[in-house]
Amino acid sequence: MEDQDKHVDSVIKRRHRQEGPQKHVIAFIFSIVLTLIAFAAVAAGGVNIAFTVVILLVMAVLQVLVQLGYWMHLKDKGHMIPIIFMAGGFFVAGTAIITALYWMWWS
Amino acid sequence: MTTPHAPKVTGALPHEPEKATLEGRNKILAFWLFLGGEAVLFGTLFATFLTLRNQVAEGPSASELFSLPMTAAATFILLVSSLTSVFAIQAMHRGNKKSLMGWLSVTVLLGLAFLILEIYEFSVYMIHDDYSMTTSAFSSAFYTLVGFHGAHVLFGILWIGILIGQLLKKGLTVVTAPKIYVSAMYWHFIDVVWVFIFTVVYLLGKAGV
Repeated sequence: MEDQDKHVDSVIKRRHRQEGPQKHVIAFIFSIVLTLIAFAAVAAGGVNIAFTVVILLVMAVLQVLVQLGYWMHLKDKGHMIPIIFMAGGFFVAGTAIITALYWMWWS
Repeated sequence: MTTPHAPKVTGALPHEPEKATLEGRNKILAFWLFLGGEAVLFGTLFATFLTLRNQVAEGPSASELFSLPMTAAATFILLVSSLTSVFAIQAMHRGNKKSLMGWLSVTVLLGLAFLILEIYEFSVYMIHDDYSMTTSAFSSAFYTLVGFHGAHVLFGILWIGILIGQLLKKGLTVVTAPKIYVSAMYWHFIDVVWVFIFTVVYLLGKAGV
């Protein structure tokens, strides 16, 4: 059973998953650009503060999606349960943050 | 169940040795659950920081304290180390142990550079800016959040360092491969947390939000 699994796995993976470094270098350059935009938005200053916050959060979310999707392979097939685990973690984390901010600002 | 001891590898390794055994696949799946829990841990630390970040008492505020070049350097170092750990996994998939160990070593060295920079940063704050753990609610929340991330980096350095030793001793097998894969996942997650730290702590702080 195990041997069979191993065989099937290696055949499937060999066909689909021979990837070079190019894709990851592109993801890296993309991450660098996102980081530069975020730092530049703050370094420039003077811009509308709400606009800066939106830029920063968008850049952060995009970069995290690159890390999780490409470098940790969450976008690949067969990652449904890992996605549920991570989404669950982020959901609880987000709830904690929103709740704490609500207590501070609106109560 | 697989045997607890490393099977003697006679032929070529499968393309993805970390997923060749049920034990390896289970290890990776369980590590995702752990990372979900880590997300919650850091989420609560971020929640604490966000509520306390303007309570500076007599101490300096975020925009007075932080320096963008130092944060940018730390960010760049950690991002490059994330890329080198991707290269390590690709070397593992090619079955190239030498290249794998090389990239893991580069990753560890970059992690060490990040850690040294962070220790330097904290020492500047403590000595030059008189900004310590007990200065204000903001300083406590800052050192707890960023220090916790730094402790994760330290743990990752020790962990990957030990794995390099294990590779030397036991070689690249279907038993050692899942450990390396899982440590690379951990390292990427450290960078994920850092993305939120440099955005929420440093950039929003510097912007004076």
